[in-house]
Amino acid sequence: MIAPAAGLIGIFILVPMGLTVWLSFHDWSTQTPFHTARWVGLRNYEDIFSNISVGRDFKTALRNTAIYTALSVVILLPLSVLLGLLVYQRNVRGGQFLRTILFASYMVPMIAVALVWSKLYAPTEGPLNQILGWVGIGPQTWLAAPQTALYSLVLLNVWQQIGYFTVLAVAGLTQIPGALYEAARIDGANPVQSFFGVTLPLLRRTLLFSTVIAIINAVQVFEPVALITQGGPAGSTNVLTFHIRRIGIDRSQGGLSSAMAVTLMLALIVTVMAIFAMNRRAEKQ
Amino acid sequence: MIRVSAFSRSLIVLLIVALAVVSAFPFLWMVLSSFKTAEESMQTPPVWIPGTFDLSAYSSVSEVIQTGRSLWNSAVIASVTTAGILVTSLMAGFAFAKYSFRGRNTLFAVMIATMFLPPIVTLIPLYRMVSEMGLSGSLVGVILPNLANAFGIFLMRQFIAGVPDDLIDAARVDGASELRVVFSVVAPAVVPAIAALALFAFVYHWNTYLWPLTVLQGATDEYPIVLSLGRLLSYNRGAMNTPLVMAGATMAVLPPLVLFVFLQRFFVDSMISAAVKG
Repeated sequence: MIAPAAGLIGIFILVPMGLTVWLSFHDWSTQTPFHTARWVGLRNYEDIFSNISVGRDFKTALRNTAIYTALSVVILLPLSVLLGLLVYQRNVRGGQFLRTILFASYMVPMIAVALVWSKLYAPTEGPLNQILGWVGIGPQTWLAAPQTALYSLVLLNVWQQIGYFTVLAVAGLTQIPGALYEAARIDGANPVQSFFGVTLPLLRRTLLFSTVIAIINAVQVFEPVALITQGGPAGSTNVLTFHIRRIGIDRSQGGLSSAMAVTLMLALIVTVMAIFAMNRRAEKQ
Repeated sequence: MIRVSAFSRSLIVLLIVALAVVSAFPFLWMVLSSFKTAEESMQTPPVWIPGTFDLSAYSSVSEVIQTGRSLWNSAVIASVTTAGILVTSLMAGFAFAKYSFRGRNTLFAVMIATMFLPPIVTLIPLYRMVSEMGLSGSLVGVILPNLANAFGIFLMRQFIAGVPDDLIDAARVDGASELRVVFSVVAPAVVPAIAALALFAFVYHWNTYLWPLTVLQGATDEYPIVLSLGRLLSYNRGAMNTPLVMAGATMAVLPPLVLFVFLQRFFVDSMISAAVKG
C-alpha cells in the first residue's frame, strides 16, 4: 500500500537529496553523468564562503534571501492576525467575501503575478506611482533601483500570500473557546487586554506553524526574480533559489551549486530549530 | 450604545471594502489592461478604464506563444499529476491510518519531513536523473517525479483515521482485496478530503514553474502556460505590448481562479483542518 508513494518519494526526493549532499563534496558538471564527479573534499564550501567572486555572489544571495524572508515573516504574521480578526467577525457581513478575495491571490500562478506587478511598478506609466502622486508622494524607483528592488519583491510576496496566512489565523481563532473571552470580560478586561491576554497566547501554535511555512515559502521565491529582475539591479534581488539554479543548471557547476543547496538546507534547519527552541522557552515562562 | 456599535460596524465594513479593493486591484488592472489598445497602454498618466473593449490582444498573444497548446499542456500536467497524487495518497494514507507495522511512525515522519524541503535543494541532481532516464524535454519528465507527495499522504491519513474500522472489516469479510477496500469502501467515505486534495494538487501543478522550466528548457511545444508566459519576457520591456502580456496573464490565471472561486469551500476547509490537526 505504501510502496508506490514511498518508492516515488524515495526515488525523486530522498535520492536527489542524498545526491545533493554527496555532490557538494565533488567537482561535477551538471551536463555529465554522476560517476564523472571528482572528490574535492570541502573545497566547494571554502569557495562559496571565500572572498573571490563565487563567494561574494553566494554570500550576497544568502543575505538577500535572509532579508527577504525575515521581512516577509515580520509583515505577514501580524497582518494575518489583524486580518484574521477582521474576517472572523461573525456579526459583520463581508468577512467571508474579503477572505475569498485575499485567498484568491494565493491560488494563481506566480509568474502571472510577477508580470502584472512589473506593470504596476512601471516608473512612468504604472498605476502605483500615479496613486502615490495623488497623495503627494513622489515617484518611487521600485524594481529599478538596488535600494528598493528587494523591498518591492517583499511587497509583492505579502500581497500574494497574505490570504493563506489569514486563513491559518482564522483556523487558530476558531479554536479559542468563547468562554475564555467571556471570563476575561467579567474580570474587567478591555478588548485590547483580552487580545494580549487570551487571543495571542492561544494563537501561539498557529503562529509557530505559520512562521515555519512563511519561511519555507519565502526561501522559494523564484519567478519574479527570474522573470523581471534577473537578480539585479546590481545583485540586489539575487536570491538563493535563483542563484543556485543559475550556477547549477545554466552554468552547469553542479558541485558548487550543491554546496550552496546544502548550506541553504542547514540554514533552514538551524532557523526552524531556533524558532522552536524560543517557543519552548516562552511556553515555560 | 447601539449607535456606537452601528458606527464601528460600518467602520469595519468600510475597512473590509477598502482591503478588498487593494487586494483585488492587481487582478482588475490585469484584466482592464488586456483590453487596452497599444496607445492607451503607453499613456502617462495611465489610462484606468480602456475606451473600448479591444480583444485583439488575446489573438495577438496566441500568435506569439501557442496559448491553446500551452493551456492543453498545463491541463495534462495538472490532471495527470493530480490523479497520481490521489491514488498514491489514498493508498499510503490508508496504510498509515489503519495498518500497524514496525517503523510506521519513522517512515511517516520521514515522508512528512519532505513536505518542508524547498524544491531547489533537490533540483539539480533530479534534473540530471530525469535527463539520464531520457525524459528531459517531455511531459512525462515533468509529471513523473510529482506523482506522490507528503501533503496528500498527510491529509488522507488524517481523514481516513476517522473511517470506522467496522466498515473496513465488513468489506474484508465479504472477500474484498485490500486495494478494493481502499478504492470502493474508504475512498467514498472521504470524498470531501479527496475533492480538497484534487483541487489543491491541480492548482499547485498548474501554477508551478521551477521544475517544468528546468526539465523542458527549450522544448516550447511541451510548455505549459506558465512557461509560455515566461517567454513573453522580451515583450515585457516596453509599455506598447502590455495588453498582449496582460491577455496572456489573464488566460493563465483564469482556470485556477475559477476553480478556486467555485470550490473554495473545499480548499479553505482542508487548509484549516490540515493546520488544526497538524
